Amino acid sequence: MLDKYACLKKLAARRGTRDAVVTTMSVSMPWAEITDTPLDFASVDSAMGHGADFAYGIALAQPERRVLCLNGDGSTLMCLGTLVTITGRPAPNFTLIITENGTYEVTGNQPVPGAGSVDFEGLARAASVQEVYTIETEADFDAKLDLHFTAPGPAVFIWRIERADEPVPKPSAPIRQRAHDLRDALVG
Amino acid sequence: MQASLIVDALKKQGVTHVVGVPDNGARTLFEALWADGDIDVIGVTREGEAYAIASGLYVGGITPVVIIQNTGFLETGDAFRGTAYNMGLPIVMLMGYRGYQTLEPGAERVDTAASFFEPTLKAWDIPYTMMDEDSDVGQLIDNAFRTASERSLPTAILLVGTTT
Repeated sequence: MLDKYACLKKLAARRGTRDAVVTTMSVSMPWAEITDTPLDFASVDSAMGHGADFAYGIALAQPERRVLCLNGDGSTLMCLGTLVTITGRPAPNFTLIITENGTYEVTGNQPVPGAGSVDFEGLARAASVQEVYTIETEADFDAKLDLHFTAPGPAVFIWRIERADEPVPKPSAPIRQRAHDLRDALVG
Repeated sequence: MQASLIVDALKKQGVTHVVGVPDNGARTLFEALWADGDIDVIGVTREGEAYAIASGLYVGGITPVVIIQNTGFLETGDAFRGTAYNMGLPIVMLMGYRGYQTLEPGAERVDTAASFFEPTLKAWDIPYTMMDEDSDVGQLIDNAFRTASERSLPTAILLVGTTT
């Protein structure tokens, strides 16, 4: 099993200055402690399950940037159709990371439906995503770190992570302001 | 309504992407968009995705519209609220008005899609106009984009009947 915090630190260190990162739920607060640039966006206010859709839209609009979405397994399950949608009109610069720990972490680690039995790699492959990687060890993570930024998108990575106890994420500002700030950073 | 007029009006507004799900009323509109090819059409598996993707497209600096049926809008709920609405994004949406004719006095109601549609739009504070004549297409689409921009919020055009 992976240590989420160690993986996030390595991902942030490898990230390019033009890469945009959308985070959701239990990843948002730890990510914000590591990096908080104008190209980071925490999708935590509402619309659970649609952070990946939002990031995919950015990727389509900004083909010269890598756009990554760090999505939980619970969030992914809320909109499994996204795995199909992203293959209908592929964005070569889009990376979806699914952090799989089997629980809704920010509400107290209640199990997600299908915890321990859902095959996210199989779901992505069945949706015809070509670049799919499940990572369970630190050594494998280190070996595949670059692929998060270079694999032809849509690329899906499943990180099998240890459970933790994250608080309910608190956004730094109202989502309206943060969305418009992100647009300024992307377009300006 | 001629689908080609709607496509031309969307292109005039600089629309780059349509995100949505075809329905019977807008079938020929989607066919016209695919045939024309200038506007990229992103098909989604469920309407809630459409608002999140359109929001990403707008935040990324380009101009999307959402085309779905009113039944699909009723499905979107938190996805619409949590993305396009709460983010304050001027996204124009064209929505098929399933059941509009059943609102006539004495008409048989086949379901509740029409009954709940406009009250829901009002509850969400979404300005809307109805489009059912060729002569209105350009002006209504122009007005919708202006309203959306002035309010920095989504605005709707309701497609009454079917496009041809």
